[in-house]
Amino acid sequence: MNILRLIFILGLSLLGFAEQVWADGNPVDKVYHPRVVANERKFEWRFASRQTSEENVLAQRFAYGQALTEYLIVEAYISGERDETDDYGLQGYELEARYMLTEQGQYWADWGVLVEFEKQHDEGNYEITTGLLFEKEFTHTSLTMNALLVYEWGDSIDKEYETEFRLQYRYRFMPEVQPAIEIYTGEDFVGIGPAFMGVHRYEGIKQLKWELAFISGLNGKGKDHTLRFALEYDF
Amino acid sequence: MFRLFISLLLAFFSSSLWAISEYHLEIKDHLFFPSRITIPAGQKVKLIIHNLDETPEEFESFSLNREKVIFAQSQAVIFIGPLKPGEYEFVGEYNPNSARGSVVVILEKAGDGNVD
Repeated sequence: MNILRLIFILGLSLLGFAEQVWADGNPVDKVYHPRVVANERKFEWRFASRQTSEENVLAQRFAYGQALTEYLIVEAYISGERDETDDYGLQGYELEARYMLTEQGQYWADWGVLVEFEKQHDEGNYEITTGLLFEKEFTHTSLTMNALLVYEWGDSIDKEYETEFRLQYRYRFMPEVQPAIEIYTGEDFVGIGPAFMGVHRYEGIKQLKWELAFISGLNGKGKDHTLRFALEYDF
Repeated sequence: MFRLFISLLLAFFSSSLWAISEYHLEIKDHLFFPSRITIPAGQKVKLIIHNLDETPEEFESFSLNREKVIFAQSQAVIFIGPLKPGEYEFVGEYNPNSARGSVVVILEKAGDGNVD
């Protein structure tokens, strides 16, 4: 399968999403890779600042993750958010499981699944996310895509299905610096922008991974930019 | 959403499934044997790594884009390729000073006797 066929498939997929996205919130987040490494343990910090014409929303998440088998990793998060009234506080808790379906390079592409369960801190609002994770290598580049289906319900929100799509096309230039392009779709949102990531290895399996991306919303009438940053320490 | 899943399923099942050559490596005393393995260009191959040590090892290669833990006294399978000619280094992350090696990719079919 050549890259033109892949672009055709991707185009169809994006069209499908563009017709039916109605998710709320900011879809700009980490693009998940299907790969799981046995014995992996990690601490993670994610930061996202979304600036629109009307407001600035700042969100941070702290997590601990651990591989339970060579195919399954589980991660627990606490998240905080500064809202439009400049109040910053604990926003919610989240438990996430990522399962590697295929060995790297075994098939034409690598596949995984993601399941997340989230509860809002001070209200009885819940969200469950399931998704398919995809990655394909093209010599020194990797294309990663996440197709996510979200269901949310609770005391102060309506029951709702949402879809999100994330794409990252990364050039594996060198371990420390790997440039990429990222695309996101969500409710009334299509965003694209540059990203950079890398890994610095310490002794043994200890390593620090970083990601930085600046995503511009394409479909809004006003300004809509998101800066996202993530640090992950594996040990 | 339905279209996306159909597209992805098509892509998944369209991959050709043919016999893949196997190459065997051993890890003993935190060293890879052989430490240099030759494979043909343009073909997917299967590396079967036998860890004879009492401790786990992690096969890691940025150029091959592979990362896999091989548990103590166990074996693991790593699929690599198709690759262009060149030399692709790998290390054992738990013992990076001693566990080092490379995959040499050549145009003609490899003849190092390690093919099953």
